[in-house]
Amino acid sequence: MPASRSEQNVTVRLVVNDRAHELEADAGETLLATLRDRLGLTGPKEACGEGECGACTVLVDGGPVASCILAAGSTNGRAVRTVEGLAGAGDLTTLQQAFVRHAAVQCGYCTPGVLMVLTALLEKVSEPTEAEVRQALAGNICRCTGYQQIVEAAVDAARAVAS
Amino acid sequence: MSALGTSPERSDADAKLRGQAVYGADLSKTGMLWAALARSPVAAGHLRAIDPVPALRIDGVLEVVTAADVPDWRTGVIVSDTPMLAADYVAYEGEPVAIVVAESRAAAEAGARSVAVDIEPVEPVSTPEQALAPGARLVHPEWNRFAVAGGADIGRNGNVVAEVVHDPGDLDEAFAAADFVVEGTYRTLRQYQAHLEPKMALATYESGRYTIEVSHQYPFRLRDRVAQILGVAPSAVRVVGHHIGGGFGAKLDVSLEAFAALLAQRYRRPVRMQHTALEERLAAPCRANAITAVRSAVRRDGTILATDVEIVSDSGAYANNGPALSSIPMFVFGSIYRVDTARIWTRNVYTNTAPTGAYRGVNGPWLVFANERHMDAIADALGRDRREFRLASLARDGDLMRNGQPLEQVSILREAFDRVDDLSGWQDAGAGELRGVGQAAAIWLTNPMPGHATVKLNEDGTATVITSATENGSGAVATGLRQIAAEALGLATDQVTVTMPDTDATGYDAGSQGSRTTHVVGRAIADASAEVRSQVLDQASQMLEAAAEDLVITDGVVSVAGVPTASVTLGQVAQSVTWTEGPIAAGASYVTPTPPHDPLCATGMLIKGWPTPTYHLHQAEVSVDAVTGHVTVDRYIVCQEVGRAIHPDAITGQIQGGVAQGLGFALSERVDLDHGRYVQRTFKQHGLPLAADVPRVEAIVMEHADPAGPFGAKGAAEPPVVPVAAAVANAVADAIGAPIDSLPIRPEDVLDALERTQ
Repeated sequence: MPASRSEQNVTVRLVVNDRAHELEADAGETLLATLRDRLGLTGPKEACGEGECGACTVLVDGGPVASCILAAGSTNGRAVRTVEGLAGAGDLTTLQQAFVRHAAVQCGYCTPGVLMVLTALLEKVSEPTEAEVRQALAGNICRCTGYQQIVEAAVDAARAVAS
Repeated sequence: MSALGTSPERSDADAKLRGQAVYGADLSKTGMLWAALARSPVAAGHLRAIDPVPALRIDGVLEVVTAADVPDWRTGVIVSDTPMLAADYVAYEGEPVAIVVAESRAAAEAGARSVAVDIEPVEPVSTPEQALAPGARLVHPEWNRFAVAGGADIGRNGNVVAEVVHDPGDLDEAFAAADFVVEGTYRTLRQYQAHLEPKMALATYESGRYTIEVSHQYPFRLRDRVAQILGVAPSAVRVVGHHIGGGFGAKLDVSLEAFAALLAQRYRRPVRMQHTALEERLAAPCRANAITAVRSAVRRDGTILATDVEIVSDSGAYANNGPALSSIPMFVFGSIYRVDTARIWTRNVYTNTAPTGAYRGVNGPWLVFANERHMDAIADALGRDRREFRLASLARDGDLMRNGQPLEQVSILREAFDRVDDLSGWQDAGAGELRGVGQAAAIWLTNPMPGHATVKLNEDGTATVITSATENGSGAVATGLRQIAAEALGLATDQVTVTMPDTDATGYDAGSQGSRTTHVVGRAIADASAEVRSQVLDQASQMLEAAAEDLVITDGVVSVAGVPTASVTLGQVAQSVTWTEGPIAAGASYVTPTPPHDPLCATGMLIKGWPTPTYHLHQAEVSVDAVTGHVTVDRYIVCQEVGRAIHPDAITGQIQGGVAQGLGFALSERVDLDHGRYVQRTFKQHGLPLAADVPRVEAIVMEHADPAGPFGAKGAAEPPVVPVAAAVANAVADAIGAPIDSLPIRPEDVLDALERTQ
């Protein structure tokens, strides 16, 4: 059976890291594929492809989502933020700086997704406890760090922002 | 200021935090094709036919390549048993049978799913027990025709891939003299590396040479393996390394690269491949499942007269490095705890399952689990306190391991027992209803394999280290090697850069494995830096009109000792020397010598010594939920000897990360096989530890400088995973008053055990 012949493209208008885009996505195309393959934003990582590991996490209208299982079409009219949009070309954010200080980056493949989840958390909760940070990371697998330095970085960043 | 013992920023942190770092899985090239593998859907069977037509009907599919179109020889790291594509029979679920080439990734993957593979299934040899049973079907009927690297005698026989036998012949006598015998059989599952970045390859072929861009832990092995598979000279292959999204041993050997290289040559276009999530599991070289039976002859005074160990580990369908790993029991049993004699018999066997291989701490977690559970069992049988019995049994400096190698610094472990006791007193630890404490100790090696580094002084007085050492995430390259060069040259860490791996541009490097990078490559850098420093001092001595031996280099400035005003910067020296004598650069190599040992201690032994050992003591304190059987780790303490701590925060990160992997192996992670096929097919099903599952780990780092290491450093990154399951199992057994003989420790098993004891 010929594949993809009967599939229809969808027009998607979305704002990514404060820039408006209008593009034609394949039906069934994931937001992750759109970001990586069409917009060249390879910060969000491709890993499990099943929404289980969190490496592809981006913020859609401020909330963390697994972009590898979200249809690009469903983000029509919405605002997407990726890891590239955190610091832009400027200084690292307080959270990112805390990751540097706490040696919370190892292989770094989970880092973009973890940063998005924690950014969303810190926007909602000004001074989360360690337990709240760990709970927020329930959808993010990190095989390198054992999470401790990530958790410490998040708590420290929240404190730095609050003070 | 010294660059060592501080925790400067990693050179890759900024790029990784901005999402700028380019990993293998982010690579693409203009005009590239995609390819994907069609794999065997069954664990064993006769391959009758492959029908490419359904795949070729898909838009964008160009070709289906089968065994007839590729080299027909078998290859391997140790045993040449692995075909590039299966031709007559398949030996495991997931074995590659065809390659689909396409204009797009989607077409390649759809094509791979559509290839019609006609296999007549046969009953798989599913377990090591089945493989060893009398009359078992041979996984490879022609095993006797497979070549072994170097012609080594590794005891191959039918389904036995390798056999290591250490038998001094005095066991019967010892057992006859025993007051009693303590025995146990310990069973452990496979463990999946679960690195997040899928395996990938991007190959090009130009002017008679292959270039492979990849995220790989060991580019030089990859170069040699691709050459072996394609039948070309290693120099016809260039491997260029990119950021690695985790490996833990899974990215040490060839996977997709040779397929991509073959197609790049066939089409004269770049070819990209990448595993799907399912392929990641089917093709992962998991930690081997194993059965370890231990029996000791014990005297009432606590003397262990003899230990008899019989191990069967599952190699899966191909040998990989299983034959080499079969030496490792020789360094675990009768090692840090004294036994008068020991027999150690290890067999690594073929089954119709995915080939196992290297996972961080190769074989260590299950061997130490068996050894330390056994120590608890002996202590219990003697009615002795488990910690006191360990201390009484601990080897003394100069005692010999089973390979005849002296344990030179084993007394470090006595310090470790004291340090852990200071932090959490043994007497009170784990006290209370359904609470328990367990300890596990280990000696682990620093991988000795060769490394090379060139250190060049840049014309602005900074330095660049040129090496193919790979940064797998540990920070060994991104901070450790830079700190070592900085310290040796009198620079700040941020004035030293390190190149990315490129087999055309650097000397040989044996990859990120066995904690070797800081020690081995660091030593090469220290030696090369000493030569650079001496050339700098020669030049500065002319510029300052002072004797070279009167000069000091601090913070990038060369000055006459005691006369700080008489100085030149390294930048001035570099500028001057470049245009007079020529630029300054120096290279150095290092391989750790094999420690003294008895070459006749065992047959089949490929790893003969245990170089640059480090010492480890872990303590777990747990509580058990009487209703659910769930185990909570209340406190976890690691005491680890590292030689010298170059980057303390990175070491802490390795300890916490290693313990997390060990806790997964102990408590939650599963890789089950059902008739040879993997049961778990997605990340979630494996039960990997999440942030809420992992306790804060308390780390005590001990320093005993190694004269051969760079500024005293030994390896640090691999071993924190090794003793964890043992410590946790001992703690759970203590809590429930019943033995734990298999991993992972499932809540239902805990409840069963509780029921039996009550």
